[in-house]
Amino acid sequence: MAVRVTNETIQRSTLRNLQTNLSAMSTLQAEMSSGKRIQVPSDDPSGTGQSLSLRATASQLSQYQRNGQDGDSWLTTVDTALTTALGYLRNARDLVVQSGDAGLGQTSRNALADQIDGLKAGLLTQANARYQGRNVFAGTSDAAQAFTASTSGGTTVYTWNGSATGSVDRKIGPSTSVRVDTDGSQAFGWTDPGTGTQSTVFALMDQISAGLRSGTNVTGTLNDIDSSMQSMLTAAASNGSRQKVLENTMSDVSSQQITIKGQLSNVEDVDMAATIMNLQMQQVAYQGALAAGARVLQPTLLDFLR
Amino acid sequence: MSSTFSGISTALSSLIAQRTALDVAGQNIANANTPGYTRQRADLGAVNGTQVPSMFATNNGVGTGVQVTGISRASDPFLDAKLRTQTSGAASLAALAGAYSTLESGLGEPGGSGLSSQLQTFWNDWHDVSNAPDTLSTRSVLLDDARQTVDTIHTQYTSIATQWSDARTTTSSLVDQTNTLAANVADLNQRILDITNNGGSANELADQRDQALTQLAGLVGATTQARQDGQVDVYVGGNALVFGSSSHALALTGAQVFSQAAGYATDGTPTTPQDVHLEWADSPGQRVVPTGGTVAGQLRVLAPAATDGSGTGGVLTEAARRLDQVATTLATDVNTLHSGATTVSGATGGAFFTPLDPSDPTFSGGTALGPAALRISVALTTADQVAVAAPGAGAYDASVGQQIAALGSSTTGADAVWSQAVVEIGDRSAAATSRSSVAESARASAEQDQLGNASVDTDQETVGMISTQRSYQAAARVLTTLDDMLDTLINKTGLVGR
Repeated sequence: MAVRVTNETIQRSTLRNLQTNLSAMSTLQAEMSSGKRIQVPSDDPSGTGQSLSLRATASQLSQYQRNGQDGDSWLTTVDTALTTALGYLRNARDLVVQSGDAGLGQTSRNALADQIDGLKAGLLTQANARYQGRNVFAGTSDAAQAFTASTSGGTTVYTWNGSATGSVDRKIGPSTSVRVDTDGSQAFGWTDPGTGTQSTVFALMDQISAGLRSGTNVTGTLNDIDSSMQSMLTAAASNGSRQKVLENTMSDVSSQQITIKGQLSNVEDVDMAATIMNLQMQQVAYQGALAAGARVLQPTLLDFLR
Repeated sequence: MSSTFSGISTALSSLIAQRTALDVAGQNIANANTPGYTRQRADLGAVNGTQVPSMFATNNGVGTGVQVTGISRASDPFLDAKLRTQTSGAASLAALAGAYSTLESGLGEPGGSGLSSQLQTFWNDWHDVSNAPDTLSTRSVLLDDARQTVDTIHTQYTSIATQWSDARTTTSSLVDQTNTLAANVADLNQRILDITNNGGSANELADQRDQALTQLAGLVGATTQARQDGQVDVYVGGNALVFGSSSHALALTGAQVFSQAAGYATDGTPTTPQDVHLEWADSPGQRVVPTGGTVAGQLRVLAPAATDGSGTGGVLTEAARRLDQVATTLATDVNTLHSGATTVSGATGGAFFTPLDPSDPTFSGGTALGPAALRISVALTTADQVAVAAPGAGAYDASVGQQIAALGSSTTGADAVWSQAVVEIGDRSAAATSRSSVAESARASAEQDQLGNASVDTDQETVGMISTQRSYQAAARVLTTLDDMLDTLINKTGLVGR
């Protein structure tokens, strides 16, 4: 059966075609103006899934970046403090060597002792180094200072207030953490060979200074200075290697961020050239439908009957 | 031999018939743009010559003209039925696709403002708190962002509930419309029967009835069955909606508010979820299951969630259930870790979110009232209550905070549940839209076929008018010729030799 075509069927199909063209154009225009290929999840369900997970990864990576920057500042603070402290310790060693000169008078020895006291104060300042209000040598402790001096029975006692159980870590990857603090009791520690007790480099300085003032030969403490220098160096080396790890990971994170951004753009963003092309073609189709409608709907037999 | 003057009546019969044909053409052209109008045709039949079986019959075998045997509608029951079937399928799928489209445009995903990006911000805040456990400001930011995330979950749930009640109101008015149409059809059945019994033509009423039947198919997927006497019975789900001149009303019953469909009593106690369904108004309790039409689609939108957890239940209840899962997972995961941590002052963390579920270690027992997505809230009131330290590991320890922050990338965490839900809704929406557009084009083509047969072609009517006009002119000429012949017979005969 031949399909009968009437004015009404032509009108309806013309209208429907115009509607189809116009809605396709509006979709393309929405894509163009927003720059996004996926307006609602149904535009590309699997793309939506990818987009959600890529966005989550991108957000995590930028957080790792922030964590890493913060960690880097901690490590730099520790590094600076340890380097300065090592310098002070070397000065102290020189002074002790100098004090071995038998020709030195008590006045000169007192002067040396004053200098040693100054260096001790400097060491204590470095040991209480802070980054953004946190003691970098006190671990997870909330003590006001990493090391405090108190007088008991005429001698000054130095106490480390840090927490030995917890460490300050920065998460810089899904399974990568870097320790950013340094155990102050190790870095500034010294074992008194006379008593065998665990003490601090500050106590050693006090001992040297007292020895100088009382006229005792203090060159015997050179070994002690060397051993505490050694533990300080160990701490600095460990700190440096952790900083290296952190910097490497950070550069990995940066390059991953770029990759993820590229992937996200692939999934979400429209291909401008293709969309403009499609829009142009759609426009041609729409104009064609309009023109065809104008031609088809116009004439009837009545126009030709005279 | 026939009568001398019989030719005059033959010509007259043609004049009358052609005039009727012209009237019908006029009616067709007048209604060329009337929705639902089916073109009509004057059926012409030749009139036999009188056949008198007798020896002295004078008939010469020539017929005695033309008569209008009836005015028929050019309706094709097959095409009408095809259109109704397609309309019923397309309307049901369009309702479903429309609901999905509204739902997914409210999700705000994928984008920078959706729940997923707020969850990410929330987890990143835990990193920030872990980086600086000594400062209160990061904790305050964390609490603010947590409250905002909770608000978003509430808003999403509320908008789903609003969409549900909108859909129910719409469905209820659609059912009212169905009842009105059914009553109309019953009434038209009666009037058509009366008119045809009186020998009249009820074409225009039949047009109205056909239109109503197509609308009924689009509303409740009604199927029709014509009777011998010209009446039409209408069936929904196998039972008669219209039987002859009587109609039965449908009633929409079941869940009145979203909480009933989601399975909560007024006080929030979990109950069996109620569905929304159709019943016969005159015999309550007897369910009607429409096989197609907008109402069938809407009932699928309003249905409760699948009991087997397959996610194949109602569009809105399934989405709400997903939100509940997101809320429960979020609260339970965070609370499990947070309750084991200590604050800077050494106090135990306790619940970060109000516990929602017995699986939560901070849950105090009793029955959970109301949906989790609405109940979830931040339990902490001040920033110093945020706990990130492991017990005994120093006041500024942040190991638990880092564990909580890592929940953001967990494959079973709230983010994963939410993103799965979004992809699922997107998938179903895409499938519903494509099915709906296929059904719509099938319906459009069925409509094109039906209209192609039934609608008025003005060109055809013009051609018909010309041929009618010519026939009328020719019949008039026959009359003139006969008159001329009679003139010859009456006035010119017997004048020989004058």
